[in-house]
Amino acid sequence: MSEPAAEQWQRLSSRVVWVDVLVSVLSLLPGVAAIWVFGADPSLTALWPLAFVAVAGLSGAAADILRWAFTTYRLTAMDIEQRSGVFVRRHRTLHRDRVRSVDIATKLRHRIAGLRIVTVGAGQQAGAGEAALVLDALSAADAAALREDLFNTTVASPSPTATTADVLDTTDKRGEREGGDRAAEVLAVFKPWWAVYNMFSIWAYAMAAGLLWGGFWLLSSFGIDVVGVVANMADWDSLGWVVITILVLAVTGLLGALGLGVNFLLGYWKFELARIRTGDHSHLRTRRGLLSTREVLRDELRMRGLSISEPLLWRWMRMADTNVITTGLNAWDPQEPTAILPRGPVTESHRVAGKIFGPENPFEATLTKHPRTALRRRLWWGTAGSAAAPAALLLPALTGVIPGWMPWAAAAAWPPALLAAVVAYRALGHAIADEYVVVRSGLLSRTTSALRRDAVSTVAVRQSLLQRRLGLATVSAMTAAGWSTYEIPDVPTDQAAGLASDAAPGVLCDFIEQGRPLASTIMAK
Amino acid sequence: MTAIPEVEKPNIKVRPPAHQVDPRATAWWLVRNLLLCGIPLVVLIAAAVLWDQARIWLAAPIAAAALVLAARVVIEPWWRRRVHRWEVTDRATYASSGWLVTEWRVAPTSRIQTVDALRGPLEQVFGLATLRVTTASSSGAVNIRGLDRRVAEDAAARLAVIAELSEGDAT
Repeated sequence: MSEPAAEQWQRLSSRVVWVDVLVSVLSLLPGVAAIWVFGADPSLTALWPLAFVAVAGLSGAAADILRWAFTTYRLTAMDIEQRSGVFVRRHRTLHRDRVRSVDIATKLRHRIAGLRIVTVGAGQQAGAGEAALVLDALSAADAAALREDLFNTTVASPSPTATTADVLDTTDKRGEREGGDRAAEVLAVFKPWWAVYNMFSIWAYAMAAGLLWGGFWLLSSFGIDVVGVVANMADWDSLGWVVITILVLAVTGLLGALGLGVNFLLGYWKFELARIRTGDHSHLRTRRGLLSTREVLRDELRMRGLSISEPLLWRWMRMADTNVITTGLNAWDPQEPTAILPRGPVTESHRVAGKIFGPENPFEATLTKHPRTALRRRLWWGTAGSAAAPAALLLPALTGVIPGWMPWAAAAAWPPALLAAVVAYRALGHAIADEYVVVRSGLLSRTTSALRRDAVSTVAVRQSLLQRRLGLATVSAMTAAGWSTYEIPDVPTDQAAGLASDAAPGVLCDFIEQGRPLASTIMAK
Repeated sequence: MTAIPEVEKPNIKVRPPAHQVDPRATAWWLVRNLLLCGIPLVVLIAAAVLWDQARIWLAAPIAAAALVLAARVVIEPWWRRRVHRWEVTDRATYASSGWLVTEWRVAPTSRIQTVDALRGPLEQVFGLATLRVTTASSSGAVNIRGLDRRVAEDAAARLAVIAELSEGDAT
């Protein structure tokens, strides 16, 4: 790589401009095709979706060219800097030793043009609206060089590979992305049947709605009467509304599920999770994608733990999501940069956790059960929650404003609420395992999180009135990473302080009562 | 998996924080709750008076709002006065708060990112201030409400001095 040039201000790849020109031409094509090829009526009413596409494409491309012209970046010995903004000039400086993650993504058009979008994460607080530094876009070679450069600063010289015994894959088969001097230990690879895990979710209906809506507009702008075609497909009146409802739900659900399946295969094709070692530094790297690709490197020094969550409705399928708890990656990002595995079997999550943590895997710790009173608390809340709606409807029902059966119908939520209480209680568990505090809870999504104890900054112990009566308390461990609060709900009151003190070693020492129990242990030892 | 020895030791107890909040805090909470819960109640009653058809639907909410107002004005300020306590040592900031739901939390000084003494409009009327200690965790802030203005400012200044001595990026 060109060392002297590294200190100078550099532009984003000029190919960005060509891609934009191409996009704006392509965005005009559907409209042109509709008029010239299919002879559509060139009135505004029929063509407004196409006109909208064209305007959006053109203005987007123009804005992008402006952005390209006004953005420069440079890498110095200490920092990575970026200047950007057309009307509001912005100069951002990011310390190199603060860099926690480098995320390289492409969309299809970038892929074709050999471009990469580089996102440099540096422990910014996503909740506070701080953004990572984004370079959109660099050429593939520049992106790879930048990444190498950013991660090689902490090590003076990259040590020769194959120093560790557990290296499975020392060289990258595709030299395009990778310098040869890195050791990659592959932890997990893509299995096409994981698509099954990603097809069934409530989003299937959103997906189906999107597909149908898009299809409808596309076909109607080419002059096809979709409503008429569907109406002639069957004798709808003879079916009755129950059959029609079931049919519509089934067909849209199936369409959505297929859409999600295809979406998953496109997004996670060639997925690979690997541990990359550079000297004494290691990163967890995921790569995925067929048309749009995405590669995320996460500094393992910045990792604060791992969490595995199992959604309630798919518990029987043993489905799980696996996310790292780390600073600098946004846990709310829809692209899920914290996910180190796609949604898949929980056995795979545990296998990978075992590989990441080594022999002292906190996910193998035996979790302490919570007292039965925790179940009672959940049953009370379930009862109170399902009593609210009938209570609100009681007076209107008594005075005859609404039919008398409605409060009873509203009360039908009680048995499921009690069942939910039992499920939520059974999810509870916690443990202190070496360096980690392990917590498990959650009704809709049973989440097991292992959090490094030295990453806990604030500890809190909370008690509601009901909890006080039942002798329970909720211990929370706050950290800068992940969801920022990790709770151990409903532990016995007399254990709460001990647990808080274990979760954040040393934090409570000024406030511990030097009473009988602690003194006696010191004497005994 | 070996459990670490700390787990096996008998249950430890923490003592409550050393200081009570300022006596004026009781009056502050009373006025604040009167405004906070009184206004919605007045709005609900006005709606019930002016709109005949809605009266039957508004009866339950009005009763509930009146109960909440009564509890928050008659009980809450004195209850809070007994619960709210605070203490700042060289190593940590410790505070307890709440009434129906009580909580105590401790933030170590080594993880402190900012220390502020805040004064809302109503707090200024009563000469009170809130000491806010934030850490790198977005939910890990310790808020000590109802302190005398001078006391809060002194504590903030002292904490800022101690916190600067600690090294590291506090995450």
